[in-house]
Amino acid sequence: MKKKVLLMGASGSGKTSMRSLIFSNNPASLTSRLGATIDVEQNHVRFLGDLILNLWDCGGQDSFMDSYLTTQRPTIFQQVGVMIYVFDAESHEPIKDMEYYRDCLEGLRYFSPEAAIFILIHKMDLIREPQQLLDKRRQELQEVSGDVSIQLFGTTIFDQTLYKAWSSIVHTLIPNASILSKHLSIFAQACGATEVILFERTTFLVIATSSSGTGVASSAVPTYAKDGSDHQLEPTRYERTSELIKAFKYTCSRVREEFHTLELDLHDFSAVLDELTKNTYVLVILHDPTIETAAVKLNIRLARSKFETLQADSLN
Amino acid sequence: LNGSRHSSSSIQRTKVLVLGLRRSGKSSIQQVLFNNLPPKQSFYLEPTYRIVKTQIDTVVPLELWDTPGHATPESIGIPIGQFRSLIFVIDIRDLYNQPITKLVSFVTAAYQSNPDINIEVFVHKSEKLQEDDKIENFRHIQERVTDRLLDLAPEYENIQPNFYLTSIYDHSLHEAFSRVLHKLIDSLPYLEDMLNVFCANSQSPKAFLFDTKSRLYVATDASPVDTATHNLCCDYLEMLTSFGTLYKSTASTSRHSPPTTSEDPQLLSSNGASLTPSPTTSTGVPPQSSKKHPKEMFYPSAATSLHPSTPGTTLTYHEITSSLALLALVPTSVYEGRRGLLEYNVVFFREGVQEICDVEKETREGG
Ligand SMILES: Nc1nc2c(ncn2[C@@H]2O[C@H](COP(=O)(O)OP(=O)(O)OP(=O)(O)O)[C@@H](O)[C@H]2O)c(=O)[nH]1
Ligand SMILES: Nc1nc2c(ncn2[C@@H]2O[C@H](COP(=O)(O)OP(=O)(O)O)[C@@H](O)[C@H]2O)c(=O)[nH]1
Ligand SMILES: [Mg+2]
Repeated sequence: MKKKVLLMGASGSGKTSMRSLIFSNNPASLTSRLGATIDVEQNHVRFLGDLILNLWDCGGQDSFMDSYLTTQRPTIFQQVGVMIYVFDAESHEPIKDMEYYRDCLEGLRYFSPEAAIFILIHKMDLIREPQQLLDKRRQELQEVSGDVSIQLFGTTIFDQTLYKAWSSIVHTLIPNASILSKHLSIFAQACGATEVILFERTTFLVIATSSSGTGVASSAVPTYAKDGSDHQLEPTRYERTSELIKAFKYTCSRVREEFHTLELDLHDFSAVLDELTKNTYVLVILHDPTIETAAVKLNIRLARSKFETLQADSLN
Repeated sequence: LNGSRHSSSSIQRTKVLVLGLRRSGKSSIQQVLFNNLPPKQSFYLEPTYRIVKTQIDTVVPLELWDTPGHATPESIGIPIGQFRSLIFVIDIRDLYNQPITKLVSFVTAAYQSNPDINIEVFVHKSEKLQEDDKIENFRHIQERVTDRLLDLAPEYENIQPNFYLTSIYDHSLHEAFSRVLHKLIDSLPYLEDMLNVFCANSQSPKAFLFDTKSRLYVATDASPVDTATHNLCCDYLEMLTSFGTLYKSTASTSRHSPPTTSEDPQLLSSNGASLTPSPTTSTGVPPQSSKKHPKEMFYPSAATSLHPSTPGTTLTYHEITSSLALLALVPTSVYEGRRGLLEYNVVFFREGVQEICDVEKETREGG
């Protein structure tokens, strides 16, 4: 199954930078070397088993944008699964940005009315009053978008917000993610875990969690453990985990090693992060001190084939 | 400011003087190392107008004296010889006479009363230059300093300043400051011996004892320090620290106090056949502990396996004291197949380090 993902937005807004962080495991510090993207750069990323993301990174200089909206219009906007529109939070040409956005929205409505739309207000690290800006942009964009539903995130390549946004994006592309969630919570119960989180292997984006049937969307709500105890966990933990592990993977690659597994036994909790299927990693969080991480590792091994099957099914 | 956390004022602190022209990066270095300042934010630091003393609790209780750019040996207020080390910060692009003249005036002032003083020169902001220019400027500065000292008097030949390339934007600063710290640790040979023993018994090619908070390494085994491995350990420690806060439950208190049942031998044996139970439970006789440390039941630990190089390496983390951690590379076969032995070696190492720390502390407190 192939899903077309459009990355659009003004030149310099940060599209190629975020792509290289999420999909190529490059650090933020290296993005300053990127040149402007010429025309469209297409990439195929095998995401989950048979799910292939077909990324269209559309260079944002005016001449390219004009051609996307005229001669190339059908090619660009046909069969789109998701459009991600990136706005530079510090843009000097907000009016022009908005006009291009409106034109793209129209193209999408005509050729791919079913496509999901995500809007990223990017480079938020440069903004002094981030919440204020987001509220303002949300209102403006809602108005321009009319009855089309949009999801808006503030992001920057320098913290976990990028992972939060992208986890939501890919979540819309996995048809039966809620089935995965259900089985994760069964697995959590079997392990005596407070929480179990499933990550895609290369991007470390969150695919599903044991905490809710709706997956990542609920990460802003504190989690209460299934065992009836009242563990209340950090709301940003999913995206921060993605960010931390990605950074550590990069460190490992610099010494020509490859990150494989992690286990922790700390004062407050213990955890196991291990491969679950060919394409996924699973993180199991334990607050019950009587449960050994070795037992969890064994459980993960035993659950492997079950999840391989589930994952294949969830894509069909 | 920072180091003042639960330190009694009576304790004897090792004094370190930080010198350099204005804007050379003295304050940034200290803030990044000891106050977790993100390097980018150093841009907003206020200039230093007066001497600022900061107490830092590493294995050696330190007192860092940060100085303004115009400081002279006379303006410091106490004889320079009373410092164990001088850290001189030079901007790598600053090749003129001024910083070197200043450095030489302090070195000569110190040498009269304390010929053993450590002279540490940080050639700083090194990330600003390309590799070739970096090496050339570094060598240039070294030559200028040694030449100037020799010009003054032949006896200054005995002064052997140590030079380091540093930058707050990479791990070079941590590695350099670690080496500065090593010369101040009287018990270093004992710590190194214990690390050598640990490595030999655990088939570990490299192990570091880290100060957890500052991520400086306090000691390492005799094998040479490879920068890449050092950086990996630093990053691993940082990752673990951040990870530790993420899944902490705000509702429950620490699950490991009071004493835990997690080492119940029954549970261990039911979990995985390949695991050797830890000797603290299987032998029933934990290694003797000094009276000062009532046997604590739980020390945090972690491990990450680095794949796929055969036979594979595992990077382990073991808390040793509340401020020290052992990081070691071990073959994955040892970590998985001979876990009990490894844990035993850690317990043995921990007892030794705790004993050394106790002795050091007693001496410092003038006991
Ligand atoms: N401060 C800040 N800078 C960013 C961020 N993301 C990207 N940048 C910088 O923005 C610049 C442009 O990024 P690109 O990814 O090349 O922009 P683009 O959208 O692909 O541009 P075109 O290919 O011309 O359409 C680079 O120098 C990045 O380092 C961010 O979150 N914060
Ligand atoms: N590029 C670079 N800049 C640095 C480095 N260390 C410090 N700086 C900058 O140098 C300037 C002066 O630093 P500061 O610590 O105030 O210098 P001080 O006067 O010696 O205390 C600040 O703008 C820092 O951001 C470094 O390693 N690399
Ligand atoms: Mg681009």
